[in-house]
Amino acid sequence: MKKEQEEKKDDQSNPSSLVQKIQSLGQTNVPQAPDSNIHVLSIIGQVEGHVQLPPQNKTTKYEHIIPQLIAIEQNPKIEGVVILLNTVGGDVEAGLALAEMISSLSKPTVSIVLGGGHSIGVPIAVSTDYSFIVPTATMTIHPVRLTGLVIGVPQTFEYLDKMQERVMQFVINHSNIKEEKFKDLMFAKGNLTRDIGTNVVGADAVEYGMINEVGGVSEAMAKLNELIDSTKNAESQVIQ
Amino acid sequence: MILYTPLSETDIFPQSADEFSNRQCISCDGKMMIADRNTDGTYQVVQLLSTDPQDFLDQRYLPGSVLN
Repeated sequence: MKKEQEEKKDDQSNPSSLVQKIQSLGQTNVPQAPDSNIHVLSIIGQVEGHVQLPPQNKTTKYEHIIPQLIAIEQNPKIEGVVILLNTVGGDVEAGLALAEMISSLSKPTVSIVLGGGHSIGVPIAVSTDYSFIVPTATMTIHPVRLTGLVIGVPQTFEYLDKMQERVMQFVINHSNIKEEKFKDLMFAKGNLTRDIGTNVVGADAVEYGMINEVGGVSEAMAKLNELIDSTKNAESQVIQ
Repeated sequence: MILYTPLSETDIFPQSADEFSNRQCISCDGKMMIADRNTDGTYQVVQLLSTDPQDFLDQRYLPGSVLN
């Protein structure tokens, strides 16, 4: 009797949750699939650093991403990671932290630049084992700058210069772009209105050697599966 | 009132800070998510923070769904 009542209760609560779903999403059912051996990490909006941005901004917080990367590294069921980028850039040190974390993962990683991977998005995009960019995506390369209160002493500029050097070295070390070319793009005039730098579009990023290939989801998944297979083969050879 | 302007709505009507005061980062079933706390104590999912693509197919954690 009690069970029946409970069942009735369930039936009553189900239609309301269904209505709620239709109201909030415009759909009712999403298909279920088996566990995935590939995990996805999206870097969206601004890369948030030590200063919390106002809540109406879309941000990627490093305190959310870094533990996830550790979890990926530790979980034996996860064999590969796809990094999805659609970011306008943000905090240099938070961005570099994420890029270093991704590049030091032992598992195969592939990135896809969608829409935009600007400023500090560039080191994050190149930090993976293999990088893709969709044909319509762009990456803005420009010198590092600072907002807020700045102490007007020569040391501040030296500090900024060193910060820029770190970003530049990371990109050069993790991609095929030459230092000369990257500096040319960074200090180019006339590409961005009243600003220095370059907005590099999809195929050009590949041509300059910054990104490995033009492609989207299917290409990235194929490459990641290929990388997973090659690491598996390497491991089995060691055992023999 | 009709506004015809290239400015964004938030530039004209600045949003008050307390508008987002009920937005929290919560953990439900070991999954981190950003959710709004409703007046009745339930939470409405805003964004799921997960790297597992299957979590995003879980109907319980779809954006807009209500958690008790």
